[in-house]
Amino acid sequence: MRAARPIQLRVNGQAHVVEAEPRTPLLFLLRNDLCLNSPKYGCGLGECGACTVIIDGIAARSCVVSAASAEGREIVTLEGLGTIDHLHPVQAAFIEEQAAQCGYCLNGMIMTAKALLDRDPDPDEASIRNELRFNLCRCGTHIEILRAVMTAARRMREGASAAP
Amino acid sequence: MTETPTRMETPYRRALLQRSGVLAIVERRTSAADALDPDALDLHLCLTEEGAVYAFNGHVDLGTGIRTALAQIVAEELDVAIDTVTMALGDTDNTPDQGPTIASETIQISARPLRIAAAQARLHLLGLAADMLDRPTDDLVIRDGILRSREDARIALPFGELLQNRQIHLLLDPETPVKDVADYRIVGRSVGRVDIPDKVTGSFVYVHDVRVPGMLHGRVVRPPYSGIDAGDFVGRSLEEVDKASIAHVPGVVAVVVQGDFIGVVCEREEQAIEAAAALKVTWKPWVAGADLGHVENALRAQPVQSRRLVDEGDVDAALAIAGHRLDRTYVWPYQMHGSIGPSCAVADFQPNGLRVWSGTQNPYPMRTDLALLMGLAEERIEVIRIEAAGCYGRNCADDVTADAALLSRGVGRPVRVQLTREQEHLWEPKGAAQLIDVSGALGPGGSLAAYDFETRYPSNLAPTLALLLTGAVSPRPFIAQMGDRTSRPAYDYENIRVTVHDMAPIVRASWLRGVSAMPNVFAHESFIDELAEEAGADPVAFRLDHLTDPRAAELTRATAERAGWTPRVGPAPQEDGTEIVRGRGFAQARYVHGKWPGTAAAWSAWAAEVAVNRVTGEVNVTRVVVGQDTGMMVNPAGVRHQIHGNVIQSTSRVLKEEVSFSETTAVASREWGAYPILGFPDLPSVDVLMMDRQYEPPLGAGESASVPSAAAIVNAVYDATGVRFRELPLTPERVLAGLGRLPQKTAAPARKRRRFAFFGGLGALAVGLAGFAAMALPIRAAIPPIARPDPTTYSASTIERGRVMASLGACAVCHTAPGGAAYAGGLAIETPFGTVMSTNITPDVSTGIGNWSYPAFERAMREGLHRDGRHLYPAFPYPNFAKADEADLQALYAFLMSQTAVAKANAPTRMTFPFNIRPLVAGWNLLFNRPGTIEADTAQSEAWNRGRYLVDGLGHCSACHSPRNALGAEKTGASYLAGGVAEGWEAPALTNLSHAPIPWTEADIYRYLRTGKSLHHGTAAGPMAPVVAELRALPDEDIRAMSVYLASFSDPMALDEVESRAAHISAATSVSAAPPSSTGARFYDGGCASCHEAGRGAILVNAGPALGFNTNLHAAKPDNVIRAILGGIEGHSGTMPAFGAALDNRQLADLIRYLRQRFAPDRASWQDLEETIARIRKPAT
Repeated sequence: MRAARPIQLRVNGQAHVVEAEPRTPLLFLLRNDLCLNSPKYGCGLGECGACTVIIDGIAARSCVVSAASAEGREIVTLEGLGTIDHLHPVQAAFIEEQAAQCGYCLNGMIMTAKALLDRDPDPDEASIRNELRFNLCRCGTHIEILRAVMTAARRMREGASAAP
Repeated sequence: MTETPTRMETPYRRALLQRSGVLAIVERRTSAADALDPDALDLHLCLTEEGAVYAFNGHVDLGTGIRTALAQIVAEELDVAIDTVTMALGDTDNTPDQGPTIASETIQISARPLRIAAAQARLHLLGLAADMLDRPTDDLVIRDGILRSREDARIALPFGELLQNRQIHLLLDPETPVKDVADYRIVGRSVGRVDIPDKVTGSFVYVHDVRVPGMLHGRVVRPPYSGIDAGDFVGRSLEEVDKASIAHVPGVVAVVVQGDFIGVVCEREEQAIEAAAALKVTWKPWVAGADLGHVENALRAQPVQSRRLVDEGDVDAALAIAGHRLDRTYVWPYQMHGSIGPSCAVADFQPNGLRVWSGTQNPYPMRTDLALLMGLAEERIEVIRIEAAGCYGRNCADDVTADAALLSRGVGRPVRVQLTREQEHLWEPKGAAQLIDVSGALGPGGSLAAYDFETRYPSNLAPTLALLLTGAVSPRPFIAQMGDRTSRPAYDYENIRVTVHDMAPIVRASWLRGVSAMPNVFAHESFIDELAEEAGADPVAFRLDHLTDPRAAELTRATAERAGWTPRVGPAPQEDGTEIVRGRGFAQARYVHGKWPGTAAAWSAWAAEVAVNRVTGEVNVTRVVVGQDTGMMVNPAGVRHQIHGNVIQSTSRVLKEEVSFSETTAVASREWGAYPILGFPDLPSVDVLMMDRQYEPPLGAGESASVPSAAAIVNAVYDATGVRFRELPLTPERVLAGLGRLPQKTAAPARKRRRFAFFGGLGALAVGLAGFAAMALPIRAAIPPIARPDPTTYSASTIERGRVMASLGACAVCHTAPGGAAYAGGLAIETPFGTVMSTNITPDVSTGIGNWSYPAFERAMREGLHRDGRHLYPAFPYPNFAKADEADLQALYAFLMSQTAVAKANAPTRMTFPFNIRPLVAGWNLLFNRPGTIEADTAQSEAWNRGRYLVDGLGHCSACHSPRNALGAEKTGASYLAGGVAEGWEAPALTNLSHAPIPWTEADIYRYLRTGKSLHHGTAAGPMAPVVAELRALPDEDIRAMSVYLASFSDPMALDEVESRAAHISAATSVSAAPPSSTGARFYDGGCASCHEAGRGAILVNAGPALGFNTNLHAAKPDNVIRAILGGIEGHSGTMPAFGAALDNRQLADLIRYLRQRFAPDRASWQDLEETIARIRKPAT
């Protein structure tokens, strides 16, 4: 059961096969095998949120998701959200509000916020604070992050209503 | 795999100095340096003919945005656009040695050469242009990198064109005039940080993301004296490393041992994690010097070296005659940097030298350490500095770089070392605890007659760990002189004495944001508040009466006004009839950093508002108005952001943060539950007031706003409650104790020693069994071996049916060793009677069952006999298998015979006497094995009967879920499925005897067997997890049948009753019913709640079940809860991380006590938790 085997992963719309032990945390496969650096190792215990990715549309802490349980599911990382030239509105809002100091927690903040806004396009500030309750930031960028999520929500609603 | 370019896009000093088409501002590294030798020159600034500007600074960006601010300074002096400037920071091969990045002095001090270099380059460009264009210099200006004439609008010459084919090296001229501030167009304006776009798209490269060709993955194994770096045992405690203990881990390249330094290197990261965890290491006992259970006592007992820093007037005489004398003691706890990313580094040791990629704060001093550690000349070591997770002083960045260097040397290949969360928490040099005694007195008319201030500070600046662990430097404690920051108060005390008692470290300690100034100002600014009340004055007015520094006074006035400060004398709480009471507090200070008397940096003032819950003891900082005079601001947005960060982080430190220690004084906080930090729900509203001082020198913004935090908050709590706290943090327990509500520390539960009654009864058992021996039946006859059957003779459908039966019987679960081939046996199964080793059931002829005929197989399945006639132990559940249909057994035989044959000899089973006498089993069989198939119960449905066949036959559920008698046989009747044990786990009752708060329904059982999860019961864990995984092979109707049958043992409950009971449990176990005001609650909140509390926090795809319904938390014994937390849960039904390495036994007991209390409030608390945990964990070896 512990032997390595090919793991089929679907990440950012692309299919990958990685040879690994099925119980390996998804985080390490994303980082080391697929070179997707955005999910960060922070605690390995699901406490801090730095490793957050989105699986089947819902936030997931990739340090406590085994590779086996991620198989066959749709995984999105920060890289898959948008690029510098084509930013996702949440990313654009984080730049607009300058919502980073060291930025190590940023991946988790953006991915958790994205999952929230997909579920609830119009959250109030209390809902955002609650959603990010277990995403830890040590530099104290919380104020800018909250603003960024509010800004992103507004822009996404405007974008949705402007769409034909 | 894609690799990080060795030097990424960073400009390279040596290449720039060797090429043409440049204007470079250089400086000789030493006065004797040869100006033609690139290695002898520091490069500050280089402009190229392509129009690029490269600027070099020896400091590093710790996440504060200095990369952007420095680029602004260069762009300003050069008159180029900021986005043409590329900064190279802190890198030994590239940038000048400007010492460590500390004390927020990058802008204040180390930006100066860069500013001058840029000014010098601008002047030189103007000169070159004047020559080329034949115009007077003062007619020319540079705008956005283009030389223009003031008179002739047609002239527009990009500066790069002036540098074509030239190689201009200018020595830095410190006398170069710089721009007048009035002309600034870039500095002083808010600009966006240059790094943020890359950070929000995941393309920014942190040191954690560095990959170089051929790189391996390393992990270190640290000694048990966690966080202690002084004492004879440091570097000398390793007894033995058992390298064979990781023989089963794939991909191990090397184990490197040197002194107390141990590291493993593997091909893959997860392999290194497993190897480090599995490596068996024996350590000698060690004894720590001090008891940190009580910080004040520990600091008072420690020997000191004292420095009298200030002694003006006659303090003793003034205190002796004073009418209002106050004697106060302030205690500051050990605190952590708590970088969100544990430190990481890559090292590449080659015969010609060492190259490291590091997140260090101090590239040059670290290089000196590496040279000492590796016995290499400094010139042969290159430190490439790459950004890391934010640190606020000295964390483990240097330690991990040295670790990587040692491991790379051990394997001769590049090695990446990532510290674990636990290692970073345990070993990061802590912000030192501090103990401050103040005596002071008022004079006549509210004058400040006397102030006698003594502060104790234990630190050695934390030498790089590998130097100590390998014995390269002595672990004799060195005493750092760092307790003196901001030790002189800001007020006009007539007689004043300031003494610093420096002392050796107790645990590893160095500098953390606001080093010693934050604690010192906590004392100064708490004390002045008390004096104000003694004098009958408003605290702000009293400060203004006694401040001597006009800028401090101006900031104090402005901040108080912005906050709408209402003058008051003594506490003036705002109450609204609820348990919440509110108050406001003020504090201010100018941060003085550096060696005494130090360098004065920015002024900061706080007006804090708090809400104190008198019932729970929780303190919330609701609003902070923070004023700052930071001199000139290069990037005002960056300064504001730094102030926000300082306010939030320091509020967290004051309210929540305190390192905890084990009974041996080793650090015990290993994860965020043990060291909680402030998060989004508790965020204060922050209103920043920045003084306009653009014509004053810049003073840095990285730390000052933290400094007044503690006193402002404590003064506000005093205003709210009339109780003054002089020890931090303001945890609910401390506040309640201060309010006289509760004793601060609940007495530790009395310890009882208990022997396992379990073993007591065995003697009698043995006697009974000996009776059997006398009548033991002879060994049964062997069934002759056959040639291995040809698997092609079985139909695909038969093999498929056999596969399903093998899954139902979960054959592979027991007959596969960890990491071994399926069905090849070798799993050790612990029973009360000894260890049974599972056997090879692959069709290998010599070691497996390849030469077993079907009759031999059937006899084994029904009677528990080996082909050769030996008795098999009933750990093999043949009494259940005996009930299987012949057709199913034949299919199972066909399936096993069609598997790959694996040659693997069976390991001997180790039974204790008398159970090692196999023939005794025959007697056992006489008593307990009743072969024969199951008669259908016609009163029951077809599904029920099918379910019974599956459950009692190959499914062998009762083998674990029924209790066993003294001889290890399943009890029947009312005991059937009434709960048993499996591999040390409790297999819960599946009948009305279940402890589950909500009875099992058919739907719940179905969901659980199908998915491993049940909303109302929990997740399959321990030995049940692989069983559920195996059951995936069963068709849905079989799972339904099993559910029908199993549900028939519990009284049915109507769906609406289930729902109302569930709702009741949810409400009764909600967080509001159990406010987080204990250590156990904090472990839960930091470690468990993120996954286990839907609705509090993000919705997660991998959320854990709600614990109020968890059967295990309602059970009579805590074993399953302990096992799940210690070892985690692995399985397709979900993963729970193992907390065994993150929590010690005492912490786990605190957590589990809280879990039981909160989630099973009507159950009695579990006794002897710590002992049970220790037994289950087994001694750490």
